[in-house]
Amino acid sequence: MPIQYYIALSVCLFCIGIVGVLTRRNVIIIFMCIELMLNSVNLLLVAFSKMYNAPAFAANPASTVGIDGQLFVFFIMVVAAAEVSVGLAIIVMMYRNTHSIDVNFLNRLKN
Amino acid sequence: MNAIILSAVWGVIMMFSSILFKNKGAFKYIAAIGLIVLTVANIANTYGCDFFNINTHEMLRYTRFGLFFNTIAFLCTLIYVLLSGKEIEKHGNYVAEYYALIFFVLCGVSILTSFNNLLMLFLGIEILSIPLYILTGSDKRNLKGNEAALKYFLMGSFSTGLMLMGIALIYGGTGSFQIDVVRSATLFGTFSGISFLEVAGLLFMLVAMAFKVSAAPFHFWTPDVYDGAPTVFTSFMATVVKAAAFIAFIKLFEVRIADTSAVINWGMLLSLLIIATLLIGNITAVFQQSVKRMLAYSSIAQAGFMLFAVFSLNDFAKEGLILYAVAYSLATIGSFAILAKMKDITFEGFNGLAKSHPVLAATNTIFLLSLAGIPLTAGFFAKYYMLASVVKTGHYLWLVILGVLFAAVSVYYYFRVIQAMYFKEGDAQAEDVTPGFKIGLIIVAALIILVGIYPQVVLNWLYF
Amino acid sequence: MSLMNILLNATEGNNAANYFPIGVQLIFAIGFIATMMIATHLLGPKRKTADKLENFASGIPTHGNARQPIAIKYFLVAILFVLFDVEVIFFYPYAVNFRALGWDGFWKVLMFVGFFVVGFTYIIKKGALTWED
Repeated sequence: MPIQYYIALSVCLFCIGIVGVLTRRNVIIIFMCIELMLNSVNLLLVAFSKMYNAPAFAANPASTVGIDGQLFVFFIMVVAAAEVSVGLAIIVMMYRNTHSIDVNFLNRLKN
Repeated sequence: MNAIILSAVWGVIMMFSSILFKNKGAFKYIAAIGLIVLTVANIANTYGCDFFNINTHEMLRYTRFGLFFNTIAFLCTLIYVLLSGKEIEKHGNYVAEYYALIFFVLCGVSILTSFNNLLMLFLGIEILSIPLYILTGSDKRNLKGNEAALKYFLMGSFSTGLMLMGIALIYGGTGSFQIDVVRSATLFGTFSGISFLEVAGLLFMLVAMAFKVSAAPFHFWTPDVYDGAPTVFTSFMATVVKAAAFIAFIKLFEVRIADTSAVINWGMLLSLLIIATLLIGNITAVFQQSVKRMLAYSSIAQAGFMLFAVFSLNDFAKEGLILYAVAYSLATIGSFAILAKMKDITFEGFNGLAKSHPVLAATNTIFLLSLAGIPLTAGFFAKYYMLASVVKTGHYLWLVILGVLFAAVSVYYYFRVIQAMYFKEGDAQAEDVTPGFKIGLIIVAALIILVGIYPQVVLNWLYF
Repeated sequence: MSLMNILLNATEGNNAANYFPIGVQLIFAIGFIATMMIATHLLGPKRKTADKLENFASGIPTHGNARQPIAIKYFLVAILFVLFDVEVIFFYPYAVNFRALGWDGFWKVLMFVGFFVVGFTYIIKKGALTWED
């Protein structure tokens, strides 16, 4: 399949994520949209990795050209998990104080 | 490698010291020892003694510029810990953990000053940011703190998403994550030899880095976060962390701007960013009632000045950025340390401080003068080098004029505090301060004046 | 490293015929579920009593509403689980290549695990996993 399809798909997912972050009011959904953005990037990286690997693979099946794209995906996943754990902790902390997870509550600092 | 490994290890040591020691006051000294160890190890690294000889496959590359910035960051943090350690101890029972998080932030800083691969840039930014989210929300019962932490977290991870998209597109365009890659023939349509994917990726990176350094129009999280976070941690966020983000910014773009200038008009883009940042930062700071919020907006304005370094990207710019990091960090750490002692953080709260606490008022005056860039303080030379670097590039000279005009505007709101302290009647309430704290403030003020009279005292270390 | 390329050459050629097995599987999966659901409705006896409308909780009587505040330690354990769970990801490349990486790779992975043990010790020492107060 041509790489353009993968690019189009992940850009679509990415845009859905961005629109979700900018328009939704529920923190958990905003959070899921951010995860969607990260995962669209993962998809794109794997597609590019495969794209760079394909010609090298044809010449030598043991070639590792383009493998770094997939390794990057591992790092994104792990860092996203670390971020999720901190983010959830912050959301729980906020919920305990306000009993709400609506971002409209976030206007105390705007004097 | 010394700084990266030792800062991570010392972070772990700090974590476990909370189990071993029960005395809150001890942690400050453990942290101070750790920072001294880090500084010494980093200086050893600068002069060719790397304790850990690890092959990073060119993912990290050590330059004198980056290592010297590490030293500055560690020393500024040392001053910060010694000045504000008492304040950190007031924030609950997790003092050792706060220091551990500060060490992890420093680990991120030392990765950011030496990265040569976009993977390392990503990891550095994340290691820098995640502890800061926690530090922002460290005051668990305070609604403002919660709000600031949530905002910072959402905006931070949003900009991380943008940065990752940029990285993925750059990878698609060049086939490598190295920042100084030699481009091979690409598979797609190109603009004069550069894949359009890479161009799009660079623009994404620009937006993401503008988020991280709080340049307008991506600044809107900054005032809220700086205002809502506990004052001690704001002072750390606004100084060392921000300067490190600028180092990453300049490292990332110094190669790429030169060889994509045929495609993107970087000069125009960056000058728009600079004008917007200076305008919004300075003008909004004028109308603030709270000194803390004024300092938050002024930090946006200072970011606008630091962006001049990214704009001009010559030797002057690098020297200027180092000098700016020193001047701005010292002055901001000092003035936030005083702010944390004040009972009332509005401008009225400072009325007549000169009578009740002459030392605080005098040192605060020096810090604010330095932030405003008045001659004989470090801030003057910092701003001077920034503007001179733009003059040296030879075009966009109107930016220099705008820079000077906005520096003049900034004098107004910094002087409002000085005016309140010296020329207004009132009884400013400040907590009792120890003689050690006063001596610390005087030393910081003296350093600012020393650098202001003789900036080579800092800059020489960049070359010798 | 050749084994790592399993990920890379999962799809060799790209044409519509390659998707045929996936299509067959999809149709089979949907058809199987539909048949089963219809069959159970037709064949099963229909008795509607109050007992049958109860939530099934392994035969134990249910206690109140599920939508009530949960103790914070559940969140804590869940968050810690997320952290420790995802790190396993780095074992996959190692597990695939561990023969090729030899002792050198082993020490590096041991260091990685060592950092984890340190983190885990910290959690236990801080009492984040103690259930009884």
